Amino acid sequence: MAGSLTRRGALGTAAVVVASCGSSDPPPSTGARPGSGAGLLNSILALEHAAVAAYGAGARLLRGQALRYAREIEEQEREHVRRLEELITGLDGTTARPRSADEYARSFPLLGNGDDALRFARDLEQRLVRAYLQALPKLPEAELRRAAAEIGADEASHLAVINVLRGVPAAPQAFVTGTL
Amino acid sequence: MSDGTAATRRRLLLAVGAAPLALAATAAAAPRSDLDILEGLLALEHRLDSAYDAALRRGALEERLALALRDQEREHLRGIELAMTARGRRPPPAPDPDSGLARSLRSAGAFRRYALGLEGRAVRSYVDALASLRDTRLLQPLGAIMASEAQHRVALRMSLGDPLLGV
Repeated sequence: MAGSLTRRGALGTAAVVVASCGSSDPPPSTGARPGSGAGLLNSILALEHAAVAAYGAGARLLRGQALRYAREIEEQEREHVRRLEELITGLDGTTARPRSADEYARSFPLLGNGDDALRFARDLEQRLVRAYLQALPKLPEAELRRAAAEIGADEASHLAVINVLRGVPAAPQAFVTGTL
Repeated sequence: MSDGTAATRRRLLLAVGAAPLALAATAAAAPRSDLDILEGLLALEHRLDSAYDAALRRGALEERLALALRDQEREHLRGIELAMTARGRRPPPAPDPDSGLARSLRSAGAFRRYALGLEGRAVRSYVDALASLRDTRLLQPLGAIMASEAQHRVALRMSLGDPLLGV
Protein backbone atom coordinates (compact mmCIF):
# COMPACT_ATOMS: atom_id res chain seq x y z
CA MET A 1 0.00 0.00 0.00
CA ALA A 2 2.76 2.39 0.93
CA GLY A 3 4.40 1.57 -2.38
CA SER A 4 1.14 2.24 -4.13
CA LEU A 5 0.75 5.58 -2.38
CA THR A 6 4.29 6.46 -3.30
CA ARG A 7 3.58 5.57 -6.90
CA ARG A 8 0.41 7.61 -6.90
CA GLY A 9 2.32 10.48 -5.43
CA ALA A 10 4.97 10.18 -8.09
CA LEU A 11 2.38 10.04 -10.83
CA GLY A 12 0.47 12.89 -9.28
CA THR A 13 3.43 15.04 -10.02
CA ALA A 14 3.68 13.68 -13.55
CA ALA A 15 2.04 16.74 -15.03
CA VAL A 16 4.60 18.94 -13.34
CA VAL A 17 7.39 16.69 -14.54
CA VAL A 18 6.00 16.72 -18.06
CA ALA A 19 5.88 20.48 -17.92
CA SER A 20 9.56 20.56 -17.08
CA CYS A 21 10.69 18.12 -19.75
CA GLY A 22 9.54 19.84 -22.84
CA SER A 23 7.79 22.99 -23.78
CA SER A 24 8.98 25.09 -20.86
CA ASP A 25 12.52 24.78 -22.14
CA PRO A 26 13.68 28.17 -23.33
CA PRO A 27 13.62 28.18 -27.12
CA PRO A 28 17.16 28.09 -28.50
CA SER A 29 18.44 31.22 -30.10
CA THR A 30 17.50 31.11 -33.72
CA GLY A 31 18.00 33.17 -36.80
CA ALA A 32 14.28 33.26 -37.39
CA ARG A 33 12.40 36.53 -37.51
CA PRO A 34 10.72 37.39 -34.17
CA GLY A 35 7.04 36.49 -34.34
CA SER A 36 7.59 34.01 -37.16
CA GLY A 37 6.41 31.14 -34.97
CA ALA A 38 9.80 29.40 -34.97
CA GLY A 39 10.31 29.86 -31.21
CA LEU A 40 6.85 28.56 -30.43
CA LEU A 41 7.28 25.56 -32.73
CA ASN A 42 10.65 24.89 -31.10
CA SER A 43 8.99 24.74 -27.68
CA ILE A 44 6.57 22.14 -29.02
CA LEU A 45 9.45 20.31 -30.70
CA ALA A 46 11.13 19.97 -27.29
CA LEU A 47 7.93 18.41 -25.97
CA GLU A 48 7.75 16.03 -28.95
CA HIS A 49 11.35 14.94 -28.27
CA ALA A 50 10.32 14.22 -24.68
CA ALA A 51 7.32 12.22 -25.91
CA VAL A 52 9.53 10.04 -28.11
CA ALA A 53 11.80 9.38 -25.14
CA ALA A 54 8.82 8.68 -22.85
CA TYR A 55 7.29 6.11 -25.20
CA GLY A 56 10.69 4.47 -25.46
CA ALA A 57 10.97 4.32 -21.67
CA GLY A 58 7.39 3.12 -21.21
CA ALA A 59 7.68 0.37 -23.83
CA ARG A 60 9.72 -1.85 -21.50
CA LEU A 61 6.71 -1.99 -19.14
CA LEU A 62 4.05 -2.69 -21.74
CA ARG A 63 2.97 -5.93 -23.38
CA GLY A 64 0.74 -7.09 -26.23
CA GLN A 65 -1.64 -4.58 -27.74
CA ALA A 66 -0.48 -1.75 -25.46
CA LEU A 67 3.12 -2.27 -26.56
CA ARG A 68 2.16 -2.38 -30.24
CA TYR A 69 0.25 0.88 -29.98
CA ALA A 70 2.97 2.54 -27.92
CA ARG A 71 5.49 1.73 -30.65
CA GLU A 72 3.13 2.96 -33.36
CA ILE A 73 2.51 6.20 -31.49
CA GLU A 74 6.24 6.63 -30.85
CA GLU A 75 6.86 6.36 -34.60
CA GLN A 76 4.18 8.96 -35.29
CA GLU A 77 5.76 11.28 -32.71
CA ARG A 78 9.05 10.88 -34.60
CA GLU A 79 7.23 11.95 -37.77
CA HIS A 80 5.94 15.00 -35.92
CA VAL A 81 9.52 15.80 -34.88
CA ARG A 82 10.61 15.63 -38.52
CA ARG A 83 7.72 17.80 -39.67
CA LEU A 84 8.34 20.43 -36.98
CA GLU A 85 12.05 20.48 -37.82
CA GLU A 86 11.21 21.15 -41.47
CA LEU A 87 8.86 23.98 -40.53
CA ILE A 88 11.37 25.58 -38.17
CA THR A 89 14.19 25.28 -40.68
CA GLY A 90 11.91 26.82 -43.30
CA LEU A 91 11.56 29.83 -40.99
CA ASP A 92 15.38 30.10 -40.74
CA GLY A 93 15.22 28.81 -37.18
CA THR A 94 17.61 26.44 -35.45
CA THR A 95 15.85 23.32 -34.23
CA ALA A 96 15.82 22.27 -30.56
CA ARG A 97 17.88 19.14 -29.96
CA PRO A 98 16.66 16.28 -27.77
CA ARG A 99 18.10 15.84 -24.28
CA SER A 100 20.18 12.78 -23.47
CA ALA A 101 18.44 9.58 -22.38
CA ASP A 102 19.85 10.09 -18.85
CA GLU A 103 18.46 13.61 -18.64
CA TYR A 104 15.03 12.41 -19.70
CA ALA A 105 15.18 9.49 -17.28
CA ARG A 106 15.90 11.88 -14.40
CA SER A 107 13.00 14.15 -15.33
CA PHE A 108 10.38 11.42 -15.86
CA PRO A 109 8.23 10.08 -13.00
CA LEU A 110 8.99 6.69 -11.51
CA LEU A 111 7.31 4.12 -13.76
CA GLY A 112 6.79 0.79 -11.99
CA ASN A 113 4.35 -0.99 -14.29
CA GLY A 114 2.25 -0.72 -17.44
CA ASP A 115 -0.48 1.30 -15.74
CA ASP A 116 2.08 3.90 -14.71
CA ALA A 117 3.42 4.04 -18.26
CA LEU A 118 -0.06 4.55 -19.73
CA ARG A 119 -0.92 7.23 -17.18
CA PHE A 120 2.29 9.06 -18.04
CA ALA A 121 1.48 8.69 -21.76
CA ARG A 122 -1.97 10.17 -21.12
CA ASP A 123 -0.43 13.16 -19.34
CA LEU A 124 2.00 13.71 -22.21
CA GLU A 125 -0.68 13.46 -24.87
CA GLN A 126 -2.89 15.89 -22.93
CA ARG A 127 -0.03 18.32 -22.83
CA LEU A 128 0.72 17.89 -26.53
CA VAL A 129 -2.91 18.49 -27.51
CA ARG A 130 -2.97 21.61 -25.36
CA ALA A 131 0.32 22.86 -26.80
CA TYR A 132 -0.88 22.57 -30.40
CA LEU A 133 -4.28 24.14 -29.71
CA GLN A 134 -2.75 27.01 -27.76
CA ALA A 135 -0.26 27.59 -30.58
CA LEU A 136 -3.00 28.08 -33.19
CA PRO A 137 -3.83 31.75 -32.49
CA LYS A 138 -0.16 32.62 -32.16
CA LEU A 139 1.06 31.19 -35.46
CA PRO A 140 1.11 33.92 -38.10
CA GLU A 141 0.90 31.85 -41.29
CA ALA A 142 -2.03 29.76 -42.50
CA GLU A 143 0.20 26.83 -43.41
CA LEU A 144 1.79 26.79 -39.95
CA ARG A 145 -1.68 26.73 -38.41
CA ARG A 146 -2.65 23.93 -40.79
CA ALA A 147 0.36 21.88 -39.70
CA ALA A 148 -0.34 22.53 -36.01
CA ALA A 149 -3.99 21.53 -36.48
CA GLU A 150 -3.11 18.33 -38.34
CA ILE A 151 -0.57 17.26 -35.74
CA GLY A 152 -2.92 18.31 -32.93
CA ALA A 153 -5.59 16.01 -34.40
CA ASP A 154 -3.03 13.17 -34.40
CA GLU A 155 -2.26 13.84 -30.73
CA ALA A 156 -5.97 13.78 -29.90
CA SER A 157 -6.17 10.38 -31.60
CA HIS A 158 -3.20 9.16 -29.58
CA LEU A 159 -4.93 10.34 -26.43
CA ALA A 160 -8.05 8.41 -27.46
CA VAL A 161 -6.00 5.25 -28.01
CA ILE A 162 -4.34 5.64 -24.60
CA ASN A 163 -7.82 6.10 -23.10
CA VAL A 164 -8.93 2.82 -24.67
CA LEU A 165 -5.84 1.02 -23.40
CA ARG A 166 -6.60 2.36 -19.91
CA GLY A 167 -10.17 1.06 -20.13
CA VAL A 168 -11.94 4.41 -20.42
CA PRO A 169 -14.00 5.74 -23.35
CA ALA A 170 -11.96 6.84 -26.35
CA ALA A 171 -13.80 10.16 -26.60
CA PRO A 172 -14.96 11.23 -23.15
CA GLN A 173 -15.44 14.97 -23.85
CA ALA A 174 -17.09 17.13 -26.50
CA PHE A 175 -14.26 19.68 -26.35
CA VAL A 176 -10.79 18.20 -26.13
CA THR A 177 -8.63 20.99 -24.78
CA GLY A 178 -5.80 18.92 -23.41
CA THR A 179 -6.46 20.28 -19.93
CA LEU A 180 -5.53 17.70 -17.33
CA MET B 1 -24.56 29.70 -93.11
CA SER B 2 -21.30 31.47 -93.95
CA ASP B 3 -18.05 30.68 -92.20
CA GLY B 4 -18.04 34.20 -90.80
CA THR B 5 -21.49 33.82 -89.21
CA ALA B 6 -20.54 30.45 -87.66
CA ALA B 7 -17.36 31.90 -86.23
CA THR B 8 -19.27 34.81 -84.74
CA ARG B 9 -21.79 32.42 -83.17
CA ARG B 10 -18.98 30.29 -81.68
CA ARG B 11 -17.37 33.38 -80.18
CA LEU B 12 -20.74 34.47 -78.79
CA LEU B 13 -21.36 31.03 -77.27
CA LEU B 14 -17.89 30.95 -75.81
CA ALA B 15 -18.38 34.39 -74.35
CA VAL B 16 -21.73 33.43 -72.86
CA GLY B 17 -20.25 30.21 -71.46
CA ALA B 18 -17.17 31.93 -70.19
CA ALA B 19 -19.00 34.51 -68.12
CA PRO B 20 -20.37 32.10 -65.49
CA LEU B 21 -17.05 30.24 -65.50
CA ALA B 22 -15.21 33.46 -64.84
CA LEU B 23 -17.62 34.30 -62.02
CA ALA B 24 -17.21 30.81 -60.55
CA ALA B 25 -13.44 31.12 -60.73
CA THR B 26 -13.58 34.46 -58.94
CA ALA B 27 -15.83 32.97 -56.26
CA ALA B 28 -13.50 30.00 -55.85
CA ALA B 29 -10.49 32.26 -55.50
CA ALA B 30 -12.15 34.62 -53.03
CA PRO B 31 -11.45 33.66 -49.43
CA ARG B 32 -14.55 32.59 -47.55
CA SER B 33 -15.67 34.76 -44.68
CA ASP B 34 -15.45 33.43 -41.14
CA LEU B 35 -19.24 33.22 -41.03
CA ASP B 36 -19.36 31.17 -44.23
CA ILE B 37 -16.74 28.82 -42.79
CA LEU B 38 -18.74 28.47 -39.58
CA GLU B 39 -21.88 27.79 -41.60
CA GLY B 40 -20.11 24.98 -43.47
CA LEU B 41 -18.94 23.43 -40.21
CA LEU B 42 -22.44 23.74 -38.77
CA ALA B 43 -23.88 21.81 -41.73
CA LEU B 44 -21.37 19.03 -41.11
CA GLU B 45 -22.23 18.91 -37.42
CA HIS B 46 -25.93 18.63 -38.32
CA ARG B 47 -25.11 15.67 -40.56
CA LEU B 48 -23.18 13.98 -37.77
CA ASP B 49 -25.98 14.64 -35.30
CA SER B 50 -28.56 13.19 -37.74
CA ALA B 51 -26.37 10.17 -38.35
CA TYR B 52 -25.90 9.24 -34.69
CA ASP B 53 -29.52 10.01 -33.92
CA ALA B 54 -30.63 7.65 -36.70
CA ALA B 55 -28.13 5.04 -35.51
CA LEU B 56 -29.63 5.23 -32.03
CA ARG B 57 -33.14 4.66 -33.37
CA ARG B 58 -32.07 1.88 -35.74
CA GLY B 59 -29.55 0.13 -33.48
CA ALA B 60 -26.74 0.67 -35.99
CA LEU B 61 -24.19 1.42 -33.28
CA GLU B 62 -23.76 0.40 -29.64
CA GLU B 63 -26.31 2.49 -27.73
CA ARG B 64 -23.88 3.98 -25.24
CA LEU B 65 -21.46 5.02 -27.98
CA ALA B 66 -24.16 6.41 -30.28
CA LEU B 67 -25.62 8.42 -27.42
CA ALA B 68 -22.24 9.80 -26.36
CA LEU B 69 -21.25 10.76 -29.90
CA ARG B 70 -24.64 12.29 -30.70
CA ASP B 71 -24.61 14.36 -27.51
CA GLN B 72 -21.09 15.57 -28.21
CA GLU B 73 -22.06 16.59 -31.76
CA ARG B 74 -24.97 18.53 -30.27
CA GLU B 75 -22.56 20.37 -27.98
CA HIS B 76 -20.45 21.22 -31.04
CA LEU B 77 -23.60 22.42 -32.82
CA ARG B 78 -24.56 24.68 -29.94
CA GLY B 79 -21.05 26.10 -29.77
CA ILE B 80 -20.95 26.96 -33.47
CA GLU B 81 -24.48 28.39 -33.41
CA LEU B 82 -23.48 30.65 -30.53
CA ALA B 83 -20.37 31.77 -32.41
CA MET B 84 -22.48 32.61 -35.47
CA THR B 85 -25.13 34.42 -33.48
CA ALA B 86 -22.50 36.45 -31.65
CA ARG B 87 -21.16 37.54 -35.06
CA GLY B 88 -24.57 38.60 -36.33
CA ARG B 89 -25.73 35.70 -38.47
CA ARG B 90 -28.72 33.55 -37.69
CA PRO B 91 -27.69 29.88 -37.90
CA PRO B 92 -29.49 28.09 -40.74
CA PRO B 93 -31.69 25.07 -39.95
CA ALA B 94 -30.39 21.55 -40.34
CA PRO B 95 -30.07 20.46 -43.98
CA ASP B 96 -31.94 17.40 -45.22
CA PRO B 97 -30.13 14.15 -44.37
CA ASP B 98 -28.04 12.95 -47.29
CA SER B 99 -28.92 9.82 -49.23
CA GLY B 100 -25.73 8.11 -48.05
CA LEU B 101 -27.08 7.96 -44.51
CA ALA B 102 -30.23 6.07 -45.53
CA ARG B 103 -28.15 3.58 -47.52
CA SER B 104 -25.68 3.10 -44.67
CA LEU B 105 -28.42 2.22 -42.20
CA ARG B 106 -29.01 -1.11 -43.98
CA SER B 107 -26.31 -2.69 -41.82
CA ALA B 108 -24.37 -1.84 -38.67
CA GLY B 109 -21.04 -2.25 -40.47
CA ALA B 110 -22.09 0.02 -43.33
CA PHE B 111 -23.25 2.68 -40.89
CA ARG B 112 -19.98 2.59 -38.97
CA ARG B 113 -17.98 2.98 -42.20
CA TYR B 114 -20.26 5.85 -43.23
CA ALA B 115 -19.83 7.57 -39.85
CA LEU B 116 -16.07 7.04 -39.95
CA GLY B 117 -15.95 8.70 -43.38
CA LEU B 118 -18.07 11.60 -42.15
CA GLU B 119 -15.84 12.09 -39.09
CA GLY B 120 -12.79 12.05 -41.35
CA ARG B 121 -14.37 14.71 -43.50
CA ALA B 122 -15.15 16.73 -40.37
CA VAL B 123 -11.53 16.59 -39.17
CA ARG B 124 -10.28 17.75 -42.60
CA SER B 125 -12.87 20.55 -42.67
CA TYR B 126 -11.81 21.78 -39.24
CA VAL B 127 -8.14 21.69 -40.27
CA ASP B 128 -9.00 23.78 -43.36
CA ALA B 129 -11.02 26.15 -41.20
CA LEU B 130 -8.22 26.58 -38.67
CA ALA B 131 -5.86 27.53 -41.49
CA SER B 132 -8.34 30.04 -42.98
CA LEU B 133 -10.21 31.79 -40.17
CA ARG B 134 -9.31 35.41 -39.53
CA ASP B 135 -10.78 35.75 -36.04
CA THR B 136 -8.13 34.15 -33.85
CA ARG B 137 -10.61 33.85 -30.95
CA LEU B 138 -12.29 31.04 -32.86
CA LEU B 139 -9.16 28.94 -33.27
CA GLN B 140 -8.84 27.26 -29.88
CA PRO B 141 -12.52 26.35 -29.45
CA LEU B 142 -12.77 25.00 -32.99
CA GLY B 143 -9.49 23.18 -32.47
CA ALA B 144 -11.02 21.54 -29.40
CA ILE B 145 -13.93 20.34 -31.56
CA MET B 146 -11.54 19.06 -34.25
CA ALA B 147 -9.71 17.09 -31.56
CA SER B 148 -13.03 15.62 -30.40
CA GLU B 149 -13.90 14.50 -33.96
CA ALA B 150 -10.46 12.88 -34.25
CA GLN B 151 -11.27 10.92 -31.09
CA HIS B 152 -14.65 9.91 -32.50
CA ARG B 153 -12.76 8.23 -35.35
CA VAL B 154 -10.83 6.12 -32.85
CA ALA B 155 -14.08 5.17 -31.08
CA LEU B 156 -15.65 4.12 -34.40
CA ARG B 157 -12.58 2.12 -35.46
CA MET B 158 -12.77 0.32 -32.12
CA SER B 159 -16.43 -0.45 -32.78
CA LEU B 160 -15.47 -1.81 -36.22
CA GLY B 161 -12.59 -3.88 -34.86
CA ASP B 162 -10.16 -1.88 -37.04
CA PRO B 163 -6.67 -0.78 -35.98
CA LEU B 164 -7.32 2.22 -33.72
CA LEU B 165 -4.91 4.56 -35.48
CA GLY B 166 -6.25 3.61 -38.88
CA VAL B 167 -2.96 2.47 -40.38
